Amino acid sequence: MPSIYQSLVAVEPFTLIATICNLFIQMLIVKHFFLDKVLAVLDERRKAADAEIAAAQSAHAEADAIKSEYEQNMLKAKAEADSIVSGAQKTAAARSEAMLGEAREQAARLKQKAEADIAQERKKAVNDLKNEIGGMAMEIAGKVVEREISEKDHQALIDEFIRNVGESA
Amino acid sequence: MEVSINGARILATFENVPLLGTVHITQTVAVGWVVLILISALCIWLGAGLKVTGISRKQAVSEMLVSSLVDFVHGNMGEDMDQYIPLVGTIFVSSVVSNLISLIGFWSPTADLMTELGWALVVFVLITYHKIKASGIGGYLKGFLDPIFLMAPINVMSELFTPISMACRHFGNILSGTVINGLLYAAVAAASYALFGFLSANLPVGLVFLAAGAVCIFLHKKKGKGRKYLVIGIVCCVLGVLGVLSALPLIGDVLTGFPVLTIGLPAITSFYFDWFTGCIQAFIFCTLTTIFIKQATEA
Repeated sequence: MPSIYQSLVAVEPFTLIATICNLFIQMLIVKHFFLDKVLAVLDERRKAADAEIAAAQSAHAEADAIKSEYEQNMLKAKAEADSIVSGAQKTAAARSEAMLGEAREQAARLKQKAEADIAQERKKAVNDLKNEIGGMAMEIAGKVVEREISEKDHQALIDEFIRNVGESA
Repeated sequence: MEVSINGARILATFENVPLLGTVHITQTVAVGWVVLILISALCIWLGAGLKVTGISRKQAVSEMLVSSLVDFVHGNMGEDMDQYIPLVGTIFVSSVVSNLISLIGFWSPTADLMTELGWALVVFVLITYHKIKASGIGGYLKGFLDPIFLMAPINVMSELFTPISMACRHFGNILSGTVINGLLYAAVAAASYALFGFLSANLPVGLVFLAAGAVCIFLHKKKGKGRKYLVIGIVCCVLGVLGVLSALPLIGDVLTGFPVLTIGLPAITSFYFDWFTGCIQAFIFCTLTTIFIKQATEA
């Protein structure tokens, strides 16, 4: 009777062939019923995720475009405002300069006029005084002639007269 | 006591089969079909009812398995060898299931060298195919004369030993587990028979054990002795009870005729030899498969 056990390390071609066949059958079953299905699901999910990412990216790009446009507009508006302000400042400066010049001119003119007036008044006063002095001299001379006067009085009057004339001349 | 460790049991023998001669249908082939059916059922169950969103826990596991398999193949072979994902996955799962099926009492097909040799031969064919594809048949044959023609026999041997070493590495690791588990089982059974044979023949010994155990447990409970007393007490009590029982007529026959101590003990060694070795060897075999094929494409 043959042994019912193989030896510990036995070469059995049928077992070898059966194992190889089993491996291929097993591979087909694993691939068809498990791997392909799971990989298809994973792939589908990846595609969905990719589509979502692409959508998000396009939305992002759109937002970026809007933002840059807005920024450009803001920049333009700012430049415009700057130019308006600087123009206004320039105008104001020019106007104030003009006003100042005018005021200064006016003041100078007034001053000049006042000085001329003063000079004229003084001349007029001097002339008046001269006329008055002449009259006074005549009067004094008349009075001196009517009255008895000493040599001493003469001398004092003449001195005073000469001094007055000298001062007003 | 005689301990014998055998190969696969021969279930049927056919004489004078064309081409093959005498064919033995062994446990390896039979359990190989059991493994095939098990894995196929598992695949069909895991691959059914998949959804893109709102996945079930089962599908999460399937996706994790497939993802780690794809990552493993990509990591070892690069992104452009995806056609080998099914082969690598199949070898891995076949190896793991074949290694672990011994845990539920089946003969492990991987404890037969022919199983691993079959897988390794497939890998060998693929290696050779890729080598010829990469450098032409002339370049492939010329490679054996490298660096000088004197090296040709050694080169041929090293080529042929690739599948043999792959197969023997896996087979040897599984076999060593089988051998050591067999020896341990036999040793524990012998110890069990010896112990219960002695106890059944000497009833007073069992009673002494029982008494000693009772005293130890009493010391632990009433006198506040350490946990050590409790453990020793329980062991002595169990031994005592078993000793008294084995001396009884009917139950005694069962106890002395059955290796009671083998219950539970081999599970500890099987954790290493079956679970750890079984998974590690499957992983190593697949790693070598991917790396050898990848190397062949670069030749």
